[in-house]
Amino acid sequence: MKPQYQHELMTSFMLWFDHELLQKGEAYSNQTGSFYYSDDTRLPNEYKSYSSPYKQWVNDSSINGDTNPIIPSSLMGSGRNDGIIFDFENGRIIETGGNFGTNNTITGSFAVKDFNIYLTNETEEDLILENKFELNSRYAKTETGVNPYDQMAPAIFLNCEYMRNEGFAFGGEEKTTNIVKAIVLAENSYQLDGALSIFADSSRKIISKIPFSKHPSTEYGDIKNGLYNYTNLANTYLTANPYYIEDVTVSKFSEKKQGIIPGNLKIGFIDFEVSANRFPRS
Amino acid sequence: MATLNLQSEINKKLAPQVRPEIRKLFQRSFQKKKNEMIAEFLNHPVTIEIKGGVDSTNVSGTLGGGSGNLFSFIGFDSKDDPIDPILKILEQISFDYLNTSTKRINYRINLPSAKEIFAATPMPWATGRSWAKGIETGISGLGFYLRKETPNSRSGLGVQSPRKVRKKSKFKNVKYISDLIKRYEKEFSNLQI
Repeated sequence: MKPQYQHELMTSFMLWFDHELLQKGEAYSNQTGSFYYSDDTRLPNEYKSYSSPYKQWVNDSSINGDTNPIIPSSLMGSGRNDGIIFDFENGRIIETGGNFGTNNTITGSFAVKDFNIYLTNETEEDLILENKFELNSRYAKTETGVNPYDQMAPAIFLNCEYMRNEGFAFGGEEKTTNIVKAIVLAENSYQLDGALSIFADSSRKIISKIPFSKHPSTEYGDIKNGLYNYTNLANTYLTANPYYIEDVTVSKFSEKKQGIIPGNLKIGFIDFEVSANRFPRS
Repeated sequence: MATLNLQSEINKKLAPQVRPEIRKLFQRSFQKKKNEMIAEFLNHPVTIEIKGGVDSTNVSGTLGGGSGNLFSFIGFDSKDDPIDPILKILEQISFDYLNTSTKRINYRINLPSAKEIFAATPMPWATGRSWAKGIETGISGLGFYLRKETPNSRSGLGVQSPRKVRKKSKFKNVKYISDLIKRYEKEFSNLQI
């Protein structure tokens, strides 16, 4: 199936959301640490995976702050040209050459996001009450590599549950409105308030419509062509009928109900009303 | 020689005198329309169901029409009256004199926006969210709804549990406040005596 309106909306929205949080909140920390060999049966046999203790890594080079994020392009002298894949999504490297042995000590530096961002189809109740998230092990006493593909908190889950079209102008132009819900699972109230505050201020902003094919990540979580700059990418597509954030409401999960949530995660909700004018029948 | 525009003079001179009488006539039409709007709100299946409290049935069909009801599903306390704040806002609908033009007196109708009503209808478990808006765009939590009497339940009937006890079904959104306000904006703007 070809990518449809909702595919492009959620791709564009997620890239914008990630950038906004990292840039406005400087919601990342630079880390230096070891990589641990981990067997991953989903990878081809000749690929070896070495996981850091943290996921997800920052891959957007347009982020700058008091300390700019470290976006790795080489590790102990080996880079993409030597067959290293940087899996930013899962906080690891995948080696396709013969640079490292499974017993080697590998170390490197990278920037870890304060919040992992995920697109999800799971309902809020499933995310909040059923799933038990591992915490990014930045405070763990014994450092180990994180399991690939596990969803880890602190995290923000984005979900689009609602879409409606209504007539806008003669000639078939319609206003399409989507409700995009973000469920924030934070480690503490400070972190939760920070995320809610950033996005409460995003009302009436516009989001570039980035084509599905321009998503910066490869199937292995690395950056296409080795460089991703959200600002440049967004500016390239800014004129192509952008999305408009009509309204944002933020809310915290009731303290009274906190007792039924597994773990000590602080929960918040951000509800975005995003619209675009389009010709859905053409 | 100066000429007198008689019609203009009549309009100018008579308008202030007839204004109270016209206001009375307009008040009558306005009140009729306002009552119609409030009645429509009170007769909406969602309003009826929530107004019915913990014992109501799912007449709105939002929960698949099966067991359970919106009042308990949303998580209201048994003593809550979630409809009352909306009713109070609707009862405050009023009109003021705006201006007079030729053969026409204009009144401004003070109709609440859907946003104002959403602000007055907080979810019991996340006060920044509106249950009234949720009726239109979706409310989570159905999978954890138990039709079971328990002292721990806020409403005395529904309870949220960390484990799913019933096959998950989808909350069905229905038109509610936004639709009502939008339609009556048109109705009021076409109001004549």
